[in-house]
Amino acid sequence: MSSASKPYILDLENVLYSYEKDSPFIHDLSFSIPEGGFIGLLGANGSGKSTILKLACGILKPLSGRIKLWGRDLLAQNSRDRAKLISYLPQTLDISVPFTVKELVSMGLYPYDIPPALSVDEALDMVGLRDKADARLTDLSGGERRRTFICMTLVQGAGLLLLDEPLANLDIKYQIELVKLLKNLRELRNIAVIMALHDINMALQFENVILIKDGNLIGSGRPDEVLSQRILKQAFDVDVEVRRSASQGIYISYDNNFAERRS
Amino acid sequence: MRIFILVFVALFIFCCALFLGPQIIAPGPLSTIEREILFSIRLPRVLVAMLMGMALGASGAVLQGILRNPLADPYILGISSGASLTAALGIIGGMSFLGSFTVPVLAFVGALVTGGIVGMMGWKRGGLWPERLLLAGVGLSFLFSALLMLMMSISTDEGLRRAMLWIFGDLSMSEWSRIPWGLAFVVIGIVLSATRARALNALILGDEFAHSLGFSPQRERFILFVSVGLLTAASVSLGGMIGFIGLLIPHIMRFFMGSDSRMLIPASALGGGSLLCIADLVSRSVLPPMELPAGVVTAIIGAPYFLYLLRKKDVLSI
Amino acid sequence: MKRYFIIISALLIGLSHSAFAGGSTASPQRIISLAPNTTEILFALGLSNRIVGVTTFCDYPQEAKAKPKIGGMSNPSLEAVVSLKPDLVVATTDGNPKEFVERLNSLNIKTFVFTARRLRELPHGIRELGAVVGAYQEAVKLADGIEKAIEMHGRGVRGQGSGDKGQGSGTSKKVLFIVWPEPLIVAGPGTAMDDAIALLGYENIAHGAATAYPKYSIEEVLRRAPDVLFIGKATGMDMREVSQGFLKRLSLVPAVRNNKICYVSDNLYRLAPRVVRGIEELAECLK
Repeated sequence: MSSASKPYILDLENVLYSYEKDSPFIHDLSFSIPEGGFIGLLGANGSGKSTILKLACGILKPLSGRIKLWGRDLLAQNSRDRAKLISYLPQTLDISVPFTVKELVSMGLYPYDIPPALSVDEALDMVGLRDKADARLTDLSGGERRRTFICMTLVQGAGLLLLDEPLANLDIKYQIELVKLLKNLRELRNIAVIMALHDINMALQFENVILIKDGNLIGSGRPDEVLSQRILKQAFDVDVEVRRSASQGIYISYDNNFAERRS
Repeated sequence: MRIFILVFVALFIFCCALFLGPQIIAPGPLSTIEREILFSIRLPRVLVAMLMGMALGASGAVLQGILRNPLADPYILGISSGASLTAALGIIGGMSFLGSFTVPVLAFVGALVTGGIVGMMGWKRGGLWPERLLLAGVGLSFLFSALLMLMMSISTDEGLRRAMLWIFGDLSMSEWSRIPWGLAFVVIGIVLSATRARALNALILGDEFAHSLGFSPQRERFILFVSVGLLTAASVSLGGMIGFIGLLIPHIMRFFMGSDSRMLIPASALGGGSLLCIADLVSRSVLPPMELPAGVVTAIIGAPYFLYLLRKKDVLSI
Repeated sequence: MKRYFIIISALLIGLSHSAFAGGSTASPQRIISLAPNTTEILFALGLSNRIVGVTTFCDYPQEAKAKPKIGGMSNPSLEAVVSLKPDLVVATTDGNPKEFVERLNSLNIKTFVFTARRLRELPHGIRELGAVVGAYQEAVKLADGIEKAIEMHGRGVRGQGSGDKGQGSGTSKKVLFIVWPEPLIVAGPGTAMDDAIALLGYENIAHGAATAYPKYSIEEVLRRAPDVLFIGKATGMDMREVSQGFLKRLSLVPAVRNNKICYVSDNLYRLAPRVVRGIEELAECLK
């Protein structure tokens, strides 16, 4: 993951965080995200993925250690400047008020006094929501809603997207669509993505994978290098088979026989 | 743009309320009496109605946003109960240390103190939390209402009647001396909340979402809460409790203007002001020369209209 | 002979159907009054040592304040009434809830409902009450006195003719009785004030209002331009202070311009013997 030539958007150095006093949850976490990186943050529920993302964008503050955004201390930066660099999409989106797609995407303009380079309409085109500009969020499907939020971050101009389990509760079709969209945007706009997820197979789509267990980083690297039976057992406490195929690289399958073994 | 249509409508309604009255005063040469009525009695009254309605509409829109609750209205936080309690104390206890300013000032102080208590109870770990605010407000509201009822049950009929007339909304005492104060607080409150409208939009979608867009959720919520407190205090001290406007005007305006707070806050202000002007006009003109409580009329006019809109638009946009 | 027999038996039947719920015909010794005006009447009839309970609002005469309290007018305490073992409870038609009176009756407590509401009904009401409490002579004296006073004031107006009352042709002076200035509450139809004003030959501008004590429109006062304003006293309030701001808004009204504003007492607020003094106060002011 360390490529000296690429600049790093995000650096976490020896970060320590705990929700309760005297019981550190995240300890001594360090990793770096290069520009244009496409990283999957993989781990079981409660392993600390959300916490890490929130630390990375400043919602939570580390007890010790440093977090740097483009080489500068994250928390020292003005919140509006920070908003232009990094965008966080939470796991649950409270859509009780019927904003339209266009209204939501336009919120990406909020950190700016002078409008940024990408206009709302252009962003809508990019994600294919132009014809739904006046639709209400409450009328959209889950996948379309997530796409709308991502469209907003385009307008926001953030170079790094932190997505907390955006694929949860989506049908496989929309999961694939969303990941494709992100990859597309990465190519078009060089946007880095860190996505928290717990779908092992989907993790294969990422350029790099960081495995988390109980707040600790237990592995990182390219999926086909780092994902092994052992590490997946450690992360998810489950037995899987990691198979290699010439065309697809690796793929992961679960033991089809779910019946308990007798002997 | 739509907001200009609203401004025009509001102005038109203002003029209607001013000239139609219980008896029509046509513009043109006026007798001394008519001029006196128009300038000393009607004009301040309609101005107060507009100001109160604006304060209530705007604060309703803001509150529904920061509490993320479509049923929130300026009174849910107990601010009005506290104000009613202190005002009733003043009325029933026969206080008049500030002349005719006594009851309004008492109401205003009561509102601010209650707002402060609610704010303190809703405060934890460096910020205001919507759920805590809501619960604290509701609890305090019950307490003050009970105290109010207690006070009423032991007071004489005359004091009681006056207190009830005030509580149900009384614009008949509007006079020019109150207007500068009312104007100041209402303008400050609306400007304060309107400048934070973008933050409100973001807050509606969640604290973390707001943070991501570069806002400090706790700071913004606090400022907005203060603006709601000011607006509610100003409104209650100008003319008692007028319900319904803060609750349903934002929803009605949402049908026409969408949910963007930058439009919704001023629109709710204009809508609330217009409704109260109409309601006051009706309360003066239905059984002249008797006057009905304005708060009752707002509900009678507004609620059916809201239900009609709900059916027509066919979508529960809440 | 037969005719006399019929008359006497009719009288007897009538008497037996008067408000007693059976029992002895000796005059009641333990009387409870459920309204301030009946309290005042009972005291005026000299029955102070027979009154065992009054409401918290009964503050006239002074001795009434010392009597045991049984609660308010709209919510008297049944327990308090019963525990005082009254042999007569005096209630009013509009002041006390009907259900309370019915409840008392069902507990076999004698009740009498004082039905007089208007000025002219007061003497008869006093006589009726007097008969029930066994103080008929005093009641007649009191009632007669009130009747005479009422008649005198009414006559006084008619007697003077149209002489000094403006341009003749019977344009009577317009007056308004203000119970409270802010919010403006005035005495409308069906009140003792309205009766007194009519008695004295003047026009109450609020006579056509819909209720007895309406919240009135200031605009209307300006339009109807009363010549005289009465401002009645509220307990414990300095009415001059309280009315200051209000009167400033009425500067165009003749009454204010000519300073024909009279601060009167609350004598007319209750239908009791004091109303006579109340009428006198109004008459004084209107001279």
